[in-house]
Amino acid sequence: MRRPQKSCPFCEGRVHYVDYKDDRTLGRFITDHGKILPSRLSGVCARHQRQLSTAIKRARYLAMIPYIRGHQA
Amino acid sequence: MTRRYEAVYIFDSTLEDAAINEKIARFHALLQSTDEISIDHWGRRQLAYKIGPRDTGYYAIARFHASPTTLPEYERAMKLDDGVVRYLITLFEHEVGAPPMTEEEMARAARQDDDDDED
Repeated sequence: MRRPQKSCPFCEGRVHYVDYKDDRTLGRFITDHGKILPSRLSGVCARHQRQLSTAIKRARYLAMIPYIRGHQA
Repeated sequence: MTRRYEAVYIFDSTLEDAAINEKIARFHALLQSTDEISIDHWGRRQLAYKIGPRDTGYYAIARFHASPTTLPEYERAMKLDDGVVRYLITLFEHEVGAPPMTEEEMARAARQDDDDDED
């Protein structure tokens, strides 16, 4: 049986572009370890998931969010 | 032809504010941009992970119009500068970046979304 479609939080908020500088929003879409949350769990639509994944990778490079959470060098 | 870019700089947090402003001014002089460059200073922030010995960095964001041909020289200056821990230059146009959109553009984008968002 098909599960009911989750609605995309970005589309609901009428977000046109996922900003890589907004680390608080991006933080909602990464797991406890810092991995990108799959869209099947978060309900993000394909277009925003593509933007989100780029945004998270940029934010990681700029040390706004960690590559691995809970890792001690 | 000029394009619109956004650059994020992370400077060494031990630098004085005056030194940081002087460096930013030096980089921006290389762009030969005629328009005014908007700079947003976030100031010193904790880094999410250590970069070398550094725990904190000074963040500054600049938005500017520049010709793509001036970018290599500008990037080279930043690479050579020891005070710059990291930098990121991204396009800031249409769907690529997030410039303010007019009502008309918003309406057009919304129509497109309806067309090709079938999943």
